[in-house]
Amino acid sequence: MSTDAPVPNLSHLPPEMLDFTLSKTFGALAPRLGRLTLPGRKPLLTPDFLGNTSRGAVPHISQDIYRSRANLGGVYIALEDFVEKHPQKIPPVLQYDVPEPLRRFIALPDAALLVLGARRMPPLPTPMSNTNSEVALQTSVGFKTISLEYYAAAARKLQPDIVIGLADIPFGQESVSTKRKDKMSDRTEAWMRDIIAKRNGIDKGERRFNIFAPFLPLDKDLQQWYLEHLVDEMADHISGIAIYDAYLLDDLPEELHKLPRLSLHPPASPQELLRQISLGMDIFTIPFVNEATDAGIALDFTFPAPEPREDTKTSRRSLGIDMWQPEHATSLIPLSTGTSCSCYACSHHHRAYLQHLLNAKEMLGWVLLQLHNHAILSSFFAGVRASISASTFAADVAAFEAYYEPQLPEKTGQGPRVRGYQFRSQDHAKGEKKNPKAYSKDLEGKVKTVKVFAAHGQEPKEKPETRNLIDDEALEGLVDLENLRLEDGNGNGKGELELEDDENGRASSSSS
Amino acid sequence: MAPVPMPSALSLELLGKCSVTKARAATLHLPHGPVPLPIFMPVATQASLKGLTPEQLEEAGCRLCLNNTYHLGLKPGQATLDAVGGAHKLQAWPHNILTDSGGFQMVSLLKLAKVTEEGVRFLSPHDGSPMLLTPEHSISLQNSIGSDIIMQLDDVIATTHPDMVRMTEAMERSVRWLDRCIKAHKYPEKQNLFCIIQGGLDLDLRRKCTAEMVARDTPGIAIGGLSGGEEKDSYCKVVDTCTSLLPENKPRYVMGVGYPEDLVVSVALGADMFDCVWPTRTARFGNAITAQGVKNLRNAAYSEDFGPIEEGCQCICCRTREEGGLGITRAYIYHVTAKETAGAHLLTMHNVFYQLNLMKRVREAILEDRYPAFLRDFFSKLYADKSKYPEWAVTALRGVGVDLLSD
Repeated sequence: MSTDAPVPNLSHLPPEMLDFTLSKTFGALAPRLGRLTLPGRKPLLTPDFLGNTSRGAVPHISQDIYRSRANLGGVYIALEDFVEKHPQKIPPVLQYDVPEPLRRFIALPDAALLVLGARRMPPLPTPMSNTNSEVALQTSVGFKTISLEYYAAAARKLQPDIVIGLADIPFGQESVSTKRKDKMSDRTEAWMRDIIAKRNGIDKGERRFNIFAPFLPLDKDLQQWYLEHLVDEMADHISGIAIYDAYLLDDLPEELHKLPRLSLHPPASPQELLRQISLGMDIFTIPFVNEATDAGIALDFTFPAPEPREDTKTSRRSLGIDMWQPEHATSLIPLSTGTSCSCYACSHHHRAYLQHLLNAKEMLGWVLLQLHNHAILSSFFAGVRASISASTFAADVAAFEAYYEPQLPEKTGQGPRVRGYQFRSQDHAKGEKKNPKAYSKDLEGKVKTVKVFAAHGQEPKEKPETRNLIDDEALEGLVDLENLRLEDGNGNGKGELELEDDENGRASSSSS
Repeated sequence: MAPVPMPSALSLELLGKCSVTKARAATLHLPHGPVPLPIFMPVATQASLKGLTPEQLEEAGCRLCLNNTYHLGLKPGQATLDAVGGAHKLQAWPHNILTDSGGFQMVSLLKLAKVTEEGVRFLSPHDGSPMLLTPEHSISLQNSIGSDIIMQLDDVIATTHPDMVRMTEAMERSVRWLDRCIKAHKYPEKQNLFCIIQGGLDLDLRRKCTAEMVARDTPGIAIGGLSGGEEKDSYCKVVDTCTSLLPENKPRYVMGVGYPEDLVVSVALGADMFDCVWPTRTARFGNAITAQGVKNLRNAAYSEDFGPIEEGCQCICCRTREEGGLGITRAYIYHVTAKETAGAHLLTMHNVFYQLNLMKRVREAILEDRYPAFLRDFFSKLYADKSKYPEWAVTALRGVGVDLLSD
């Protein structure tokens, strides 16, 4: 492992200066070991991953648990989670007048590395495209645009450790014309120059952020011009590269190889993660962790893979355990099979409880799964680093691929309520339901739809016969809210209620 | 019927009594450790306190929480509970658990449940098949759950029920069902069965029921059927009447009570134990309980409010980073509530802490014999001026010697 890497002396550097030391590389397109250091932060030994936040929190993980029970080096944060009031109002977090307002607002510890980007990971497509000076965002209340100036000013005010420069990428668009591709490169170049100038204009005494430059998902010749300028004119001002397509790493100019590489190319599986690592990727955000959690799947893999036993040689092992399966109902063993997992869920709880919590739609189920799944990834990366250090990585990857199934298991159970930002709502007219309807039966067995008064977290009228069950379910996501007419207890529509909604205004508009 | 001598798995250590009101401070020794009285018990309905880990619940100061028999009977079910070894093992909770009998949910959740002498008949919410909950079945379930305090199955009807005949029947049936529960209870040496006094708002019925229940000598005594929409004045009269007839050496539990002002008044009326889902449910709707009242942090007014949830609160959310807390702001709760479950978890922790800390302060005040002053201070913080004090509280407290309106 990179523990033998020399610890750089940072005392002469400005307090926010990022240092990245590679302790082991095998040349281009090969796995590498590094150590990313920022004064005051926990050093990040790479390859490693960042927690992927939603509205400032790793989903299901409250900040006290992040501190006591999650073992993460840092998190990725999207600006679009904070600016839904723009431009009518200055978003609250930008008004928080304390040192490091973002860190304090989302209440994460000083040791956590904070990486700020414009879009969530993975980003949802926006209905409008970017312009020369504006970037399209998808906030919890819908589509917004922000200017370059706004992004730079927000970065300066929020004081994250690392800011990813804006990239002009038409997310969700299947085919992109060559003309548009040229524009992507041109704009990204101009936007990078802009944010570097803005950052360099920050007074010496003030905290400066470090910039990661986007590496576009374009063929080499199409972003050649941008990359040349990045190398010739901007290299001294950037601290890392944010990579949108890991399989183009070959095209990354050699002059930039010493910089840390953040993958914004979401891997679909651990195997794909390993492929990215083998190409020399350093830092990841891994949406499949949260997806597995919401699907009720406890990840169950280690790197290197265990020695194959005689009896298991024929069939490959699953990468995760579907905790919805009834066979776990009385199982008192930890979530992980094989090697012991030291996460809070495995050391304090058993499968029977997890199965019960999922069955009962209790939020704690997802908390425990999320802790476990993050711990599995942390151990995975520790194993990866040890393997690279021991120069056995290629063989270990081959053994891993032989040992495990290539894909995560299919989701079988119901997850928590699909929130607006998870719903790809390109086709509003169809009114497809995100969540199933709730029904209740009366004694005669007549099925009726339950009216939900708790839509959008509005406290319901006191209805003893429904409040215990239905309102909780409404809040926690088991009944559909967006298709219901919002009513108060007197049957009056509540369409005029101003709701801060997370469905892009869908639910509130459905009531009018 | 002759009283059945009953073993007890608890002891009540009375530590202090208010010299003015009927308030008591004690330590209740239970199979999974001592708990302070008076106590508020958070409700972990389905063996989980709404998103909190047992560790977080412990951190908030909780040593006795509720599980609901009805819910655990459905999920994970008795067979699973037996296989796992009870609810403590299921949820990895090393402290005490109290379970209700399941009767209340039956009536409150299932509009058309039918009560007969045999038990409560209802349709399974899962598949609509007819089911029957008898006193024996309820106790058997609670034996499988292994809770430290178990409740008798009672015939619960709304206190506002207009039919006196039905009310009397429910009271008398509850007594008969207690006898069946006592008989069915397999582990009296490790699980404490509490009786439940019924009788609606009729004080004579309540007195009769109290006498019958006390004669059966259960380890603890509950006052049931309340907090179902009755006038607060009537509620207070029932609690006051019952506690006056109860032996001093047994804990008194008023079921379903949890608003802060209800708690402090009920303590003054001589009650020791309370439970309610309100603090944790209301948290999930963005409501923070504070000494100044409930604040809905989903109100846009809080979106730019960078103060703590409650000024001076010592919960993990409200303490500053410098004090080892998270330094959560109202603005952040506004930002995250109803959008990420973590927001609900944060407010749930605050509200549970508030309730437990309130009872801690109540207990200290009783032990130092300054509970009347505590009550005056409590109401003066909760309401801007005396004209706003709820009349029922003023009346009830005057009845036990405290005049909230005097200076």
